[in-house]
Amino acid sequence: MRVLLALLLVGLAFNTQAASIEARLVRGSNDTKAVDSKLQDLEPKLKKQFGYEYYQQLGVQKARLQENKTRRLNLGEGFVLFVTPKSIVEKVHELDLEWTSGRASLVKTTVRIPEGDYLFIKGPAVADDWILLVVTVHGS
Amino acid sequence: MSRHQTETISGLLDGELKGFRRWTTERHVNRCPICAVEYRRQRHVRRMLQANPSPVQMTDSAEFFWSKVKAEIRHRGVKRHQTPGLLPVWLRHHPFAATGGVIVAAAVFSAVLWMRAPEPLSHPAAAAPTTSAKVERVKTAIPHTTATPLSSDSSQVTVIWVSGLPWTPNMNAMKTEFANLDT
Repeated sequence: MRVLLALLLVGLAFNTQAASIEARLVRGSNDTKAVDSKLQDLEPKLKKQFGYEYYQQLGVQKARLQENKTRRLNLGEGFVLFVTPKSIVEKVHELDLEWTSGRASLVKTTVRIPEGDYLFIKGPAVADDWILLVVTVHGS
Repeated sequence: MSRHQTETISGLLDGELKGFRRWTTERHVNRCPICAVEYRRQRHVRRMLQANPSPVQMTDSAEFFWSKVKAEIRHRGVKRHQTPGLLPVWLRHHPFAATGGVIVAAAVFSAVLWMRAPEPLSHPAAAAPTTSAKVERVKTAIPHTTATPLSSDSSQVTVIWVSGLPWTPNMNAMKTEFANLDT
């Protein structure tokens, strides 16, 4: 009985931690130097939304989601994403997100994002390029 | 020229006045101290403007600017402007035709409904619930900056557009800018 209970608890704990978040810091550019094979899957979607020809991945971080536990994702170039999962209903995750750079909070949002969907955030402009944040939640 | 007219002096300086009008204005400016001062003042302003042309205040390159415009148009959606067809214009001139047309159309429609055998109405399948991400709240703490959730035509993508963030020429300048920007 104890073994069964332990297995049930372990299974439950594994299930709640199954989902993970992936955040990518991307530079959108018309410069051919920004070609990046790591973004091949995302490039058509990014091109459709932002219009740039090329996209370069500047940083990527993944983290397991735990309800009400804030995770800090260092994306590089001084950008940090704070993620706090609030709830999950039918594979739709409610997340509090805060995207910061240095001491500045660029944007703070609460989103409901289904597993596999993308949230794009258009950030600051650097020279002729844009800095973008791509957030997606993966299921188990 | 008997009165003090700044527009006429301006025209004289711009070379717009010709012939007799030019001669009388020049004569008046030479004799009238008030208009002479105005003439010198306007000439001074023109010379200063010619010497210091205002540079075009555009922080973005043309290519970058147009990419922003195109992206904005894409997000807002192209609103098609419909020009009125010929029929409404014709109907305006024949007001009774409209009423008659409606009556005839209603009669034809009723006849078709009456002649058709009753068929069981097919119930279309319930529309699948939209599964795209939904932005509940969004805000930015940086002054003069706005964050706007935009609807996307792609069902799997949601976009938050943060505009008004400070522009920087390179990544290092950007890091410095945001490191010193306390929100």
